[in-house]
Amino acid sequence: MTFQPKFVRTTLPLALLALAGFGQVCQADEEAAREKGRQIYTSMCADCHGEKGEGVAGAYEAALIGDASLGELTNQITKTMPEGDAEACVGPDAEAVAAFMHYAFYSEAARIRNRPPQITLARLTGNQLRQSLADLYSHFHGAPGYTNERGVKGIYFDGSRWKNENKKIERVDPTIDFDFGKESPGEGIKKEDFYIHWNGSIIADETGDYEIIVRSTVSFTMDFGKLGRTLIDNHVQSGDKTEFREVVRLTAGRAYPFKIDYIQRKRKTEQPPASISLSWVPPHGVEQLIPQHNIIPFTVEPTYSLQTKLPPDDRSYGFERGIAVDRQWDDSTTAAAIEFGIVAADELWPHFSQRNKKIPEENRARLKAFLNEFVETAFRTELSDETKQLYIDRQIAESPDDHEAIRRVVLMTLKSPRFLYPQTDATDSLSQKVANRLALTFYDSIPSDRWLLEKIERDQLQNEQQVREAAWRMVNDFRTRGKTREMLHEWLNIGHFGEITKDEARFPGFDPELIADMRASLDQFLDDVVWSEKSDYRELFTANWAYTTDRMGEFYGDQWKPEEAAQPAADKLPRGPAPQELRKTAGGGEHRHGLLTHPYLMSGLAYTDVSSPIHRGVFLIRYMLGRTLRPPNAAFSPLSPDLHPDLTTRERVAMQTSPESCQVCHSRINGLGFTLERFDAVGRFRENERDRPVNAQGSYTTRDGREVTFQNEQELAKFLAESDDAHRAFVSRAFQHFVKQPVAAYGPEKLDELTVKFKNSGYNIRALLVEIAVIAAMQSHHTKIAG
Amino acid sequence: MVHQLSRRDFLQKTGISFAAANLLAGLPSLGWASQAAPKKRLVFIFSPNGVIPDHFWPKTLGSDYDMQRILKPLEPFKQQTMTIKGIGNLIKGDGDGHMRGMGCLLTGIELFPGDVQGGSDTPAGWAMGISVDQYLKNQLQANADTQTRFGSLEFGVMVPDRADTWTRWSYAGPNQPVAPIDDPYQMFDKMYGQAKNRAMLASVLDDLTDDFKKVEKLISVEDRQLLDTHMQMVRKVELELQAEMAQQKKQDAEQSGDERAELDHAIPELPPNVREDNDNIPQITKMQIELMVNGFVHDMNRIASLQITNSVGQPKMKWLGIDEGHHGLSHEPDSNEDAYEKLIKINTWYCEQVAHLAKRLADTPEPGGNGSMLDNTTIIWTNELGKGNSHTHNDIPFVLVGGGLGFKMGQAIDVKKVPHNRLLLNICEAMGYPQKTFGNPDYCGDGPLTGLT
Repeated sequence: MTFQPKFVRTTLPLALLALAGFGQVCQADEEAAREKGRQIYTSMCADCHGEKGEGVAGAYEAALIGDASLGELTNQITKTMPEGDAEACVGPDAEAVAAFMHYAFYSEAARIRNRPPQITLARLTGNQLRQSLADLYSHFHGAPGYTNERGVKGIYFDGSRWKNENKKIERVDPTIDFDFGKESPGEGIKKEDFYIHWNGSIIADETGDYEIIVRSTVSFTMDFGKLGRTLIDNHVQSGDKTEFREVVRLTAGRAYPFKIDYIQRKRKTEQPPASISLSWVPPHGVEQLIPQHNIIPFTVEPTYSLQTKLPPDDRSYGFERGIAVDRQWDDSTTAAAIEFGIVAADELWPHFSQRNKKIPEENRARLKAFLNEFVETAFRTELSDETKQLYIDRQIAESPDDHEAIRRVVLMTLKSPRFLYPQTDATDSLSQKVANRLALTFYDSIPSDRWLLEKIERDQLQNEQQVREAAWRMVNDFRTRGKTREMLHEWLNIGHFGEITKDEARFPGFDPELIADMRASLDQFLDDVVWSEKSDYRELFTANWAYTTDRMGEFYGDQWKPEEAAQPAADKLPRGPAPQELRKTAGGGEHRHGLLTHPYLMSGLAYTDVSSPIHRGVFLIRYMLGRTLRPPNAAFSPLSPDLHPDLTTRERVAMQTSPESCQVCHSRINGLGFTLERFDAVGRFRENERDRPVNAQGSYTTRDGREVTFQNEQELAKFLAESDDAHRAFVSRAFQHFVKQPVAAYGPEKLDELTVKFKNSGYNIRALLVEIAVIAAMQSHHTKIAG
Repeated sequence: MVHQLSRRDFLQKTGISFAAANLLAGLPSLGWASQAAPKKRLVFIFSPNGVIPDHFWPKTLGSDYDMQRILKPLEPFKQQTMTIKGIGNLIKGDGDGHMRGMGCLLTGIELFPGDVQGGSDTPAGWAMGISVDQYLKNQLQANADTQTRFGSLEFGVMVPDRADTWTRWSYAGPNQPVAPIDDPYQMFDKMYGQAKNRAMLASVLDDLTDDFKKVEKLISVEDRQLLDTHMQMVRKVELELQAEMAQQKKQDAEQSGDERAELDHAIPELPPNVREDNDNIPQITKMQIELMVNGFVHDMNRIASLQITNSVGQPKMKWLGIDEGHHGLSHEPDSNEDAYEKLIKINTWYCEQVAHLAKRLADTPEPGGNGSMLDNTTIIWTNELGKGNSHTHNDIPFVLVGGGLGFKMGQAIDVKKVPHNRLLLNICEAMGYPQKTFGNPDYCGDGPLTGLT
């Protein structure tokens, strides 16, 4: 790898070089240069760009903002400005204008200085509403702690009933996928008369619709989310009805307890052979057996996932923010509140009532106690008498029916600004505010776990050390893992891939099953890195191992062969597709650089038939390096490879983007995108394209103006692992995703501080999340109480 | 929404002048034609475990028939009632007597092989075909003139919380049992939930607006804009809801001005906190009947069923001084005088429920039509067995009340051992959808029964 920090003469004010160490003089010279620049700008540029670079209607409308270095900016002015007379402003004049613009309004620092970002009031985002309701439910039952155990608990009985003396087998099965045929499922069990009870908890990695599919030739019932909440009732085995499907909307980072009672009943008539499988179609996936790594071998506390669909939130800043209040959103919160009211009345209330028999029922005291706890948890505060009177007493006086009273109070509570705006806690205790922010940062939710509520009660979240301790406790949690996965997907911009399709003639076998395997492979890799001991960001780009499946091995060749052979596939006719069986790669990691060269990413950033250096370059510059790019001047169709049979992809792209106006951005885009040219449209490694060796050389100019060149993807990967720009982009992305406010709102220096901390921690991702949460939580120490 | 538009509101909303409306009246797409054709409604009521035939069936046939003890509650409706003796559920195959009695009653077809074992017969699964109520619902829903919000509503009373061949009698198709809703509050939600929720929202938003003002003080001045926008929207929604409810009231007033006082309450009020419990059976039954009548008034459905408990049901009718479960008693020999007397009382109680529904329908004028709702509704009260202790499928009770099907009422007939499929054919025909066969064709040989019209 060749780091070549080039201090190009024309791109750097001489004064800076010459006067290092003479700060005063240097500063004076800088100011002089800027003043000179201001004068030139006012006379030559302001007509089209506005006095402060704000743009001029009818001329150049876009504001002059960006993150090109001073050198790049100078270069651009020299080459292109003023339009039509580029020679009029060159050399020291161009340098001066660039220096002025950069300082006065162009750079990020200038923008923060001119208009410091603020922490703004935000309502709960759709996702936060969904997660808050899940925790509001869990509050009454308890939230499950994280566990590494995986599999399904299976208890096998002789005879068709649960009788302890007939229990023959108790074990953890990897998945539910059995074909007993006409045979006994195990020793000591009669083949014509048995009962198997499976239980466990299914972990949803992302929020979305999951289709749960059970294929069973004999009687079974399945409870899901809570024991007693029936999902599929096939108590009666009837005719040849053997396939059962139910769609449920699940919330990320939650485990859903389930049980299946599976019974082969003895009978006079002929029995069907016994088989069963438990599959799903997850969001963005294809039908597969629910994999072992998504099942915990015991039932966790009951869970509830909102089924109401919530509209998407504002993402104009690159992260979701609850800053828009419109009718569609309002209607969806009503629907959510009504749905939750039913669950609260049907499930939470009987549970509470059962456990609080000491509270008398006279004057609806027990009901009031339940509602008090509910509203307090939702409002993240102890209720004042006034609030209690309004939200509880007055509402239940309106409803003689208990269930109706609950639904009414729930509706009002969940529609209240006290619930929908977490920042309305100005008058609460410091510990309460800290807990509110911690829960929002890590879980997108309300503080509802017992231990956290106790800390609030005892006011034990006062100083930074206490806050940091609590944050470390919260980071290793299913919910945080779910949110981290979402963050990484945003960082990789995976949501924008859409449906990946490839030219069938050129890439036979690139089917939805393969894509689902690749996505699972990438996700498993991300999880492994983040949740490993070291949690080292750099490994995301340096790992030479990956997860793979037989299907991937077959398609991508030896480099993607799994280390172990798969379980021999049994006769699986009556059941669904075979298990995915992710395993680590056996070797062949020579050209593998973590996620950078992962086929899911490479094929997502490509056309159906050829690679796309532009997509890859834009992805690298915007997402991996956190730089800004203007949108293209117009929409372009890529040149067709068929019309240019002699050109490589690189040559075609270079040709199409050669005009000067394109080069403003494409000199940055192409230089990065070309480095990945050794991966074709499906992400297969290649040495040659059209019988010519692939040229994967590229370059990048860093935020601080250094030019870096790369021989190929290997050098790029190493650069991304070590680069300040990349670290900063990652830290910023993580902050925005977890806190949902711009990091600069917490102080202009916060991003740099955090990036340094990140570096000093050995690029520990989990430590980064903790520090982010600490900043967000400690901020409440500085807020002024308004009103 | 729940409410039918009045003719005038319809015209206002669609912007059609009266003159034009008269021209359009012939177009089926606008639905005026349906106003003219009288509605036909059908209710199936199930009670379990057979009857005591000697105190059930009239001794005298014809229009001069007599009502025995069990049927006494129907005396006021004698002229609108018909008893049909001699109908057998002759479907054979897998399943015990109760299962086939229940699963084949409205489907007229065998049960699938399966694993549910009852008594000493072979085990079985679900019925192999659609039931007559669901079949007719599909026909009505396929026609713009007869289409309603739900088509059919399936009510239950204390149906055990398990799906099996003894707890289901309505089928949407082969292997597709339809679960009755036996919680009146749940049924209420299905029928009026939306309207009720909107009313609740309107009232809650009113209280919330004040609190918004208090919450505003908790945030900085710069941040208040978002909250203000939110509060304005809440106000707007509240006003919309109020206008919507005022409009509804107006419509109700117009309907009730039409000498229909009970329409004052578009949304019926259920008594609070009646939970599913054996002792609440009488109250739950009344609540369900009330909802059923209301659904008909608002033309939410033309077909309904009411399944009181289930086949082999074990309600303990303590309110009649009976502590034993019904099914247990039904197995006692006729010589057990105590059990015999109790079974008469139990069945009389079921008949009272049928009579109560008949009365509610008779007391309710037909909306937009002539006469009472009972004139346009036929209640068919039936059972999975002819007699409990013999488990016979002969002489299955069929008592019809009301004029919906246009049968000749006010008579007792005996059709002398014919398969019940033929009666299902009569029902289809009378609803306007004649069929050559229903269920297993082998039992439909001679077509619909004669003598019913």
